[in-house]
Amino acid sequence: MQLLRRTSFGYTPTQLETALSDGFNKTMDRLIETKPVDPPALAAASTPGGRFAVAQLQQWWIDHMLTTSTPFAERMTLFWHGHFTSDYRKVADDTFMYWQNLTWRRMSLTDLRSMLMQVTTDPAMLRYLDLATSTGQNPNENYSRELMELFTMGPGNYTEEDVRQSAKALAGWQEPPPDSYTTVTVDKANNVTRRLPVYSTPKPGVFNPKRAFKGAVTYLGKSGPLDIQGVVDRILAQPATAQFIAGKLAQHFVTANPDGAYVKTLADAFRRSKYDMKTLMRAVFTSPQFAAASSYRTLVKSPAEFTVHAARALGLSNPSKLIASAGTGMGQSLFDPPDVGGWPNNESWISSNTVVERVNFVTAALAQLKTSLPAASDSSRVHLDGVLSPQTASLLNRAADDRARWFIALASPEFQLK
Amino acid sequence: MTTEVGINQLKRRDFLKAGLVFGAGAAGLAAGYAAVPDAFARAVYAAKREGVTNDNILVMIQLAGGNDGLRTVVPLADPTLHDLRPKLSSSMVSQALPLNNQFGFNHNLGSIKGLWDQGKVAIVQGVGYPNPTFSHFESIRIWETGDPTRRQVDGWLGRTLASAYDSNGHPLTGCACGTTDVPGALRDLQATMTVIQNQKTFGFTGGSEVEAAVGALYKGTPGIYGALFDTAIATATETMATLRTSAASYQPMADYSDKVKLVYSSKNQLAAALQLAAELIVTGTGVKLLHVTLGGFDTHYTELNRHDDLMGYLDSAVGAFYKDLAAHGMADKVLIATWSEFGRRPKENASGGTDHGAAAPLLLIGDPVKGGLYGEAPNLTNLDATGNLKYAVDFRSVYQEILGGHLGAGSSQILGASFDRVPFLKAPIAATV
Repeated sequence: MQLLRRTSFGYTPTQLETALSDGFNKTMDRLIETKPVDPPALAAASTPGGRFAVAQLQQWWIDHMLTTSTPFAERMTLFWHGHFTSDYRKVADDTFMYWQNLTWRRMSLTDLRSMLMQVTTDPAMLRYLDLATSTGQNPNENYSRELMELFTMGPGNYTEEDVRQSAKALAGWQEPPPDSYTTVTVDKANNVTRRLPVYSTPKPGVFNPKRAFKGAVTYLGKSGPLDIQGVVDRILAQPATAQFIAGKLAQHFVTANPDGAYVKTLADAFRRSKYDMKTLMRAVFTSPQFAAASSYRTLVKSPAEFTVHAARALGLSNPSKLIASAGTGMGQSLFDPPDVGGWPNNESWISSNTVVERVNFVTAALAQLKTSLPAASDSSRVHLDGVLSPQTASLLNRAADDRARWFIALASPEFQLK
Repeated sequence: MTTEVGINQLKRRDFLKAGLVFGAGAAGLAAGYAAVPDAFARAVYAAKREGVTNDNILVMIQLAGGNDGLRTVVPLADPTLHDLRPKLSSSMVSQALPLNNQFGFNHNLGSIKGLWDQGKVAIVQGVGYPNPTFSHFESIRIWETGDPTRRQVDGWLGRTLASAYDSNGHPLTGCACGTTDVPGALRDLQATMTVIQNQKTFGFTGGSEVEAAVGALYKGTPGIYGALFDTAIATATETMATLRTSAASYQPMADYSDKVKLVYSSKNQLAAALQLAAELIVTGTGVKLLHVTLGGFDTHYTELNRHDDLMGYLDSAVGAFYKDLAAHGMADKVLIATWSEFGRRPKENASGGTDHGAAAPLLLIGDPVKGGLYGEAPNLTNLDATGNLKYAVDFRSVYQEILGGHLGAGSSQILGASFDRVPFLKAPIAATV
């Protein structure tokens, strides 16, 4: 049950029974090895300049979280969205954000080297961390710094000089040229028009040698000419990189405070596999720490995990609009992270504001079911492992009807944890 | 200072540290989860017999992302500025609102300039700390904890709450307005504080019935997050009751609507957050330490309009807030202070923006302030090895003056040391440092 809770967005009773009869290993294999299924194309993404409401993008993704047959890839996509993060406000082109989501899903369980190449040349990322406007002559340090601090090595494992040197080496990448332009009226009242880019398919950024740095740099202890592949390879040669990624994943999937020896074991397996994500995730899920009693309910569900799981438990028919708007008050609005560090986790999800919003979400979700509710009799076993605090158990026992039972089960502290 | 420890002598911090040990196996898990007694999971706080007795209030405004000090308090007569910032400097100098012949406020800081003219704004220049980090997160943490050595985990305002106030049963003593999570500066496991993103929607849908059910559900919750959950629900419920009364008696006496359109919208509604802060202050809810945030200051690109917009946004919100407090006769109690994790690089980059910097000015605003310039003017011809401004005033000197001089809290206990004074207060409370 813990495996499903930590690798999926909830489950139906049937899916739970299948997993229980398949057993841990077979279930894990299926979750990790099945090729991620793409969501259906989003029609709005062809809007010139990506000028469509972010709510459409959020609901499109949530719809896929609710229905996908490869939920683990979706959980990893959400993980990478918080790790290699970008926000729609600064990117200011929701088509680029849409492409990024597609790319993150397809790369979610591949290898870190190819992932870092795709992240570096992703059009939304080129805008979000300003690499698209950097030049070798007068570099912008934003991407260079966060590539090391937030994406790979973590602070303390490189110098300020390294930040400046790789800013030079990374410069020269620009947004892909559009297939065409179209003139659109953006303000009818004042007759304001704008020429907006049109793309027929997703494209990565392009390299413009004229904007690149010419010459050698000294980066992470070695000197010579360096392109983005060289930067990525230097980063992957640092032991800190595997440690940092493995530690963050352990914190996300296993326990709030993984110890150093455990992280090192995972990091060693990751590095030995040439940074293969499937190998790393297999090591995570088969580790004794994952199954340990001391890891039980030590992680807090993120708002996306909580809301999608609750909606699926109730079998809501069209909940993506409700889910998308409810995330804000709980601290997680998709495509809109609080800052370049993505979302914080665990205890940061708990405040007087967010717990009230979680309870209100359950109320709103139940209100969508006017008449027919799924039977609640089995809900504590299916969704709460049958492991309840005395308060939850007694309130469930005393509940007058299924509506009250579902409210208690989904608003309970137990259901907020994974 | 003597403290009274609660009934079972167990503090929430100890509880969280100890965690919850489960027996093995499913049956053991179930037994372990259910076996945690009520008293363990309840947060138990030290109730203060002594502590702060005055009714002064602090409002910290975080300018998140690293505010450009050189565009906030603009050097008017430094020829080096144009060499370092050919794109960014000309209009900012010509349009600045002069404070003297050396410095001027950003042209969008008109309301704050008005308060400066009345002697109600102190500018502390060159604020920073030794060996600055250029990481947002590390530097934010340093400012939040007040500890450049990065050992401290609790926030400086959280420690103040825990050591100088009785926040138990008074959840509004510390409050973050306009956000969903506890800001690091207010975090301390032994202090209670409230987080309210939007006052209009802060409440249980379904009213008292839901409130009662949730109150019963979140009681003695086991597990490592049990105390956090229970406290969050209890705090929220008490706060809702207080807000019901305060909202009924509060009439804003200023226009908080933001007239400034940001180039891209900020997540933080500063004006709305400050309006809520004003309501909490003028209706006597007992609020002492407030925290609000305005984001968007990480101006690596096309900084020109974006930073000016943010200045305008800050100015209109602070202007309305001060006016509202003054109209309600509360302006003499409230000190407003800005902070940001760092300033920005004096030299501009290819994107028409600036990268992460170091020392920068802070603003202290309000009737308790003795207006003027403090600290040291930025020296653009004597930058450090990273091309950044050197600091002259340790940020903890500013905290010390706020804690000891305005709040009357024991600053050396909270900050763990004493620092040089920056005398920006008109009538500092006799130092309890």
